[in-house]
Amino acid sequence: MLVSKNKATNSLLKSEKKSLLRFLTLYVAMVIFMITLLSLFYYQNQEKLMLSDQRASLAKYAYIQTKRLKVLHYFFDERTTYPRDPRFRSAIYDIELMKIFSLLGDESIRFDEEIYITNKHIHFVKTLDTYYLGTKYLIIEVEDDGVWREEIWKHILVYGFIAFLLFMLFGLFLAKLFLRPMRNSIMLLDRFIKDTTHELNTPLSAILANIEMMDTDVMVEKNKKKLNRINIAAKTVSTLYKDLTYLTLEQESENEDEEIAVKSVLENRVEYFDILAKSKNITFVLSLQHATIFMDKRKFIRVIDNLISNAIKYNKRGGVIEIVLNESSLTVSDTGIGIAEDKIPFIFDRYMRFNQSEGGFGVGLSIVKKIVDEYNIQIEVESKEGKGTKMVLIW
Amino acid sequence: MVKKTVLFVILVTGLFSQDAYERNCVECHKDLPTTLQQMFKEYLQMYSGEENVKAGLKHYLRYPSKSISVMSELFINSYGIKKKSTLSEQELNESINIYWDKFKVFDKLK
Repeated sequence: MLVSKNKATNSLLKSEKKSLLRFLTLYVAMVIFMITLLSLFYYQNQEKLMLSDQRASLAKYAYIQTKRLKVLHYFFDERTTYPRDPRFRSAIYDIELMKIFSLLGDESIRFDEEIYITNKHIHFVKTLDTYYLGTKYLIIEVEDDGVWREEIWKHILVYGFIAFLLFMLFGLFLAKLFLRPMRNSIMLLDRFIKDTTHELNTPLSAILANIEMMDTDVMVEKNKKKLNRINIAAKTVSTLYKDLTYLTLEQESENEDEEIAVKSVLENRVEYFDILAKSKNITFVLSLQHATIFMDKRKFIRVIDNLISNAIKYNKRGGVIEIVLNESSLTVSDTGIGIAEDKIPFIFDRYMRFNQSEGGFGVGLSIVKKIVDEYNIQIEVESKEGKGTKMVLIW
Repeated sequence: MVKKTVLFVILVTGLFSQDAYERNCVECHKDLPTTLQQMFKEYLQMYSGEENVKAGLKHYLRYPSKSISVMSELFINSYGIKKKSTLSEQELNESINIYWDKFKVFDKLK
């Protein structure tokens, strides 16, 4: 399904980032492993190719040396000078691998291989059928200049790098493909919320306005209680509505930054939520000093409302909410259910809800995070499961 | 009597001053046209290593046969094959070891 792109969904969620990072790490490791393996095969192939080029000339040297050994064999021991050649060095070993004579620069010989490279030398091992002077193995040695190796390394580095880049591009394409279904469902949800919030506005305004207008003095106690419950329910829906409206509409509007007296805003919001808190027998403990902050008031209220409503929502019945305001910090702590330590990094993700028993869309803290990030306000979360949560804003 | 005793002592001393190789090999081979060195090279060409050469030589001395001889057919046709050795195991091993040490190629090439 094609879903229109919302600005808010463009940035990656933390859980998305984590999945993407895991996928990319695995992919990069796999690509490196594959390129290394291919390089190894290429290296071995090129080495074999070089050795097969050398084999012909070394076999010719071995043939010459065998003829010389034959002559030496027949004239031994009147002649005892081992035949030498400026083009190569050689050695002779008997059937029991005992050295008869050697002029080799590198004595590490592999008798089970015909041709091989050893420390800067190439060895060719020829097995004789007639053991002149007892020689079963004739080893021919030439210098290995290493030019071929430099060439191979150059090829491996250049082609390896190009292959790595191509694989990375392919990986990014794959990652996008991999994230698309997740992204689509988030965008679909955004679209749904955007459409439904429009429809909520009018009835909600009517309910809240009418509750305000009602004269409670003339009401009987029973009806007062009922009205109170309606008020609580309406305020809860109103908070949610404001969050959703903010998320879908307001966040894209221009900021109207101003100097805000934090203390009075806090007192006002505490009063607003007091009725909700009382419904769960929750007590507010306030310690407020004078403080100001320069930001958009609507956004600041969204932050405060979300912190307080969460503290109420996830608090125990009869719990306490402590709000401490200092010159440049605000702490809201509750005595609620708390959050597991491994889930703390994800609490600011949109639609992330750890407690399914409470209502909501899981958008509150994602709004808080967006706003505090916009204003460079630091937010710290301390939480212990079963003990409570402490949210600290520092500006 | 004294002369006879002295002659006997000289002979015995002379006999025992020779090593096993000289006693058991050189005596017979000195009449052949091919030297022991040449024969050693034939063994070396056939058997290569020390253990192999010694084992091949020992087997031939114990069980001489035309089919396993390292010498040419012309040589065998002219001089035949030797008689089976009656030397003790120890004497035979000693002779072969001395023969190997005397003619081995190791350390002789330069």
